[in-house]
Amino acid sequence: MSLPPWISRRALIGLGAACAVLAVGPLLHDNLYLHNLLTLTFIGIAAALAWNWLGGYLGQVSFGHAAMFGLGGFVAARGEISLHLPMVFAWIFGGLVAGAYALLWGHPTLRLRGPYFSIATIGVGEATRLVGTYWDWLTGGSSGLSLPMHPNLKYTLYWYGLALAALALAASYALRRSSLGLSLLAIKSDVDAASDVGVGAVRLQDLVLFLSGAMMGVCGGFYASYFSYIEPGDMFGFDRSISWVLMGVIGGIGTIAGPALGAVIFVLLRQYLIASYPQLYLGLYGILLVLVILFEPLGLTGIALRLFHRVRPDLSVTGVAGED
Amino acid sequence: MAIALRAQGLSKRFGGLKAVDEVTLQLAEGQILGLIGPNGAGKSTCFSMLAGSTPPTAGRVFLGETEITGLPAFRAARAGVVRTHQIVRPFANLTLFENALVAAVQCAGRDHAGARALALEALDFAGLSARQHQYPAGLTLAGRKRLEMARALACNPRVLLLDEVIAGVNPAEAQEMATLILRIRDERKVSIIMTEHVMAAVMRLCEQVVVLDAGKLIASGVPREIVQNPEVISAYLGKKHEH
Amino acid sequence: MERFLELVIASVLLAGLYATMAYGLGLIYGVLRIVNLNHGGMIMAGAYAGWYLHSEFGIDPYLALLPVGTVAFLVGMGMYRLLVHRLPRGAAGGVQSLLLLFGVWLVMRNIAYLLFTGNDQTVHTTYATRAITLAGAQVSVNRLAVFGVALATLGILHILLTKTYFGKALRAVAQNPESCTLQGIRVDRIYALTFGLGTALASVAGLLGATLFPFNPSFGAAELLKSFVVVVLGGLGSVAGTAIAALILAAVEVFPTAIPGFPTYLTAALGFVLLVLVLVLRPGGLFGQRVLG
Repeated sequence: MSLPPWISRRALIGLGAACAVLAVGPLLHDNLYLHNLLTLTFIGIAAALAWNWLGGYLGQVSFGHAAMFGLGGFVAARGEISLHLPMVFAWIFGGLVAGAYALLWGHPTLRLRGPYFSIATIGVGEATRLVGTYWDWLTGGSSGLSLPMHPNLKYTLYWYGLALAALALAASYALRRSSLGLSLLAIKSDVDAASDVGVGAVRLQDLVLFLSGAMMGVCGGFYASYFSYIEPGDMFGFDRSISWVLMGVIGGIGTIAGPALGAVIFVLLRQYLIASYPQLYLGLYGILLVLVILFEPLGLTGIALRLFHRVRPDLSVTGVAGED
Repeated sequence: MAIALRAQGLSKRFGGLKAVDEVTLQLAEGQILGLIGPNGAGKSTCFSMLAGSTPPTAGRVFLGETEITGLPAFRAARAGVVRTHQIVRPFANLTLFENALVAAVQCAGRDHAGARALALEALDFAGLSARQHQYPAGLTLAGRKRLEMARALACNPRVLLLDEVIAGVNPAEAQEMATLILRIRDERKVSIIMTEHVMAAVMRLCEQVVVLDAGKLIASGVPREIVQNPEVISAYLGKKHEH
Repeated sequence: MERFLELVIASVLLAGLYATMAYGLGLIYGVLRIVNLNHGGMIMAGAYAGWYLHSEFGIDPYLALLPVGTVAFLVGMGMYRLLVHRLPRGAAGGVQSLLLLFGVWLVMRNIAYLLFTGNDQTVHTTYATRAITLAGAQVSVNRLAVFGVALATLGILHILLTKTYFGKALRAVAQNPESCTLQGIRVDRIYALTFGLGTALASVAGLLGATLFPFNPSFGAAELLKSFVVVVLGGLGSVAGTAIAALILAAVEVFPTAIPGFPTYLTAALGFVLLVLVLVLRPGGLFGQRVLG
């Protein structure tokens, strides 16, 4: 079988091997704590990668992705409760609605580039959280929604989570290496120059936004099924939006797999450090952001590249296009 | 002779200012047309309107028989009108090959192999194929101007709009650039409109020259006549006070 | 009719605060091409500074304006020299400065939370509840004072930017930093001063806001968004544009409160809806200045 030129055999084998190990892992151990931690990591990986499609590949940093996560979660939960959709279909339904919602606010706001887009996303996140909190019909208001409990479902969701993370990673790879990814990098570098050589920026940006939002929605649906209880303050929370920014920054914004690595670090950090000092977590997030940006803007991936003495301008953290 | 690009009564206002005022011009198939004028005459605005980056306030643009007025830049580029920028704008995060490839994939459709071939050929044409895996940061100004042209060529244009591609490079490089422009016309059958400050280049390359001053077209003709036209001379050297 | 007049007055008074709030953000962006995401943090810090000085030492918030503004100015200069200055300028620095300043904001919120808990605080002055009758409408004295201070601040700014050497240098640097270097203007110094000035404005706005609204460590997030809406609407650098944009935003927030049954939590979303409408209808901003990339 011949592969498209942008798929490297090595990456494919590596990914396959990692998935295989993780897939059979739970059959070899019965550590429920580890099982739970890994499942949370999977969902973090999938969401961080989806955030990176917009924030890294296109260079449009979103501080409001919890809007899609929350909406997808509640729509999926409603789909299961009220429409009796099978679980996976409910996730997909939630994902589609979240993707459509992302387009609704994002299509106009993507005209803004760089920092201005980011501020607008803070607004989107806050507005969505407020509406979500008061919209009882969808979200159950401040008392939230409970999903029907199935015995063993939580244990089984490990494999669904693994599949979701693998899917997001494969999509990241495909997105970055295809001609679509190339066009996105060109838009990130200089949107006007890209248009001048035939790149239809608006449609491509919308496409990426939809994909990113839809994946977020699916993650939200997964989260709802996993915890079987969700409430708007948590699902739409600002902290949640920041966590994906942080995963991206720690791992390396704009890299293919960096955010996945960032998600692993983040989940560990939260589990071991922040659980002990819950009143310090915002500040710790902030200090991490400042340190990474000041000393290694490409995060862990940047450190790795440095160790191997490689220069990769394609990963440059460019922001506002064509300015100055 | 067939007409490659035609602009009719093209105008652009910014508030009360008429940046371009009723400009009509024609580019014949296989021609190199010079668009000259003092600073602020409206050349760049004119280019932007022809290439679709700025919608005109009034007037129409035709590519051959097809009207392309008001098409956004990416559609105009796909239709065959591609511009370069006076201040070069390479994609700094892409290799030279990828710079050209971005342009080629938009025009060669979904055929990946075809796009790669087109991109490579365009780089080769501009003399950059030896450096195809390098990044633009490593290029000299002349190199970047070549890259700008290679990227435009990778779109397979019918009409190329070259904005000051010679100004700012040293004489030897200017010579090479002029040769490259002629080759683009002769070997790739592309019709060209160029703005240029370097008069010697305009005289050598262009069959026809149109002159803009304060947004108005004040003269057009063969270069030899243009440089003797008193109105053109006064536009360049400054008028005596008339009011 | 009387109700209408009340709404108009309320909008105008609120607009003064919004204009002061937004001007700092627009100023820093206009000169440094950096969006100060810590704007919200400084608004919050200004609010707490005013509250602390009042509740601990009994200093009137209006007397605290000058010292708080001065300290914030120095903090802003320091922040520029210590952090922002180290980032690459121009395009590459865009996302980096954004994330960096966002990190600073998170740290500031955490500090405020540790020092003052997450509870809502209010500044209780003796005149907080006093009102006078203006053209038949009841108007709070405090709101009038906030408006007066805001007007004075904007007036001083206008003079500073148009009449002084610093103002001229600042505007020149905003236009073209390279040629300013050639002319012997110390560009980096102008950047530091501008960053300080923008930061000081944010803290002054925060202090004024604290006399009107209850606040907690996350105070400033909604204000950042509002400042942003005003900047996009009003363009950069023009005091008049900022004032008109602030008035529009204030009116959009104030008038729907007159509709019976209008859910108040939606007020926060109105600014954003306005922003999206402007982006769709007038992508160049209301007054055509360049804010969009």
